[in-house]
Amino acid sequence: MEAVRKIVETEAQAKRIIEDAKSRAQEILESASAEAQRVRQTALSRAQQDKARILKEAREKAEADARSSDEETNVLLANYKNLFENRKEVAVKKAVELILGG
Amino acid sequence: MAESLEKLHNRILSDAKLKAADIIRDAEEKARQIGDESRVQAQKDADEILSNANLEAESIRRGILSSRIRTNRLRVLDEKNRIVQSILKSVEQRLSEIASTDQFQPALKRFVAEAIDAVGADDTVVRVGFQNAERKSLDSLGRTLPTGTRFVVEDKPIDDLGGVVAGDVGGKVIFNNSFRARIERLDNQLLTTISSTIFGE
Repeated sequence: MEAVRKIVETEAQAKRIIEDAKSRAQEILESASAEAQRVRQTALSRAQQDKARILKEAREKAEADARSSDEETNVLLANYKNLFENRKEVAVKKAVELILGG
Repeated sequence: MAESLEKLHNRILSDAKLKAADIIRDAEEKARQIGDESRVQAQKDADEILSNANLEAESIRRGILSSRIRTNRLRVLDEKNRIVQSILKSVEQRLSEIASTDQFQPALKRFVAEAIDAVGADDTVVRVGFQNAERKSLDSLGRTLPTGTRFVVEDKPIDDLGGVVAGDVGGKVIFNNSFRARIERLDNQLLTTISSTIFGE
């Protein structure tokens, strides 16, 4: 009788060991899922920050290039104005000669 | 008996511990897989975000730059056109005053000869009209024209700027050799001449 009681106790102890292991395994999996979620959020958050930086830099670079284009155009237009002042008379004379057909 | 009972006790616990260790090992392995897969997927998602960001950045860059470059090209074209039109305006002004220069008579003779030649009829009517032209000098030109040619001096400049128009008596063939008609005929050459002189192109 004593032997049966001891076996029953041992079986119960073995069952507890396995239940504890299952419980621990569940904790491990939950912890892994939580860590995976944290890793994912960190990576996505960093990517979103990088994206914002890339877009900001692209906008700033494009604006700078656009300003540079404006300045180049302003220089070109000023140059045209000078050319017009300096060469207008010659151009008129050539055009008149062309029309007169001499 | 007691000994075998003790062995059985140990065996049961030993089996339980082995099974527990297996359960933990499986869980740890699965946890590693979850971590690895999550890292790979997160990296993939992050890479996709960055890849899309680079495309979006290029689109933003093109949007800002191409519209500004287009605007500046238009500014340049507008200015060139304004300059060319200004030159043409001066040319027209110069032509309207041509009668008071020594270029007038040779040009008039050429215009009349070209017009008569273009009509190619024996009974050509030649009309001339220039601003501030001396009637006497125009009439003297009329006397040098071939027999059968009728010479008409208009009071006003032909086509506003002046010029010559010739036609047969029936009015079937007309050749307009006014300054404005010549400007229209020489349009491309004029633009090329003006552009190359002013802009060196």
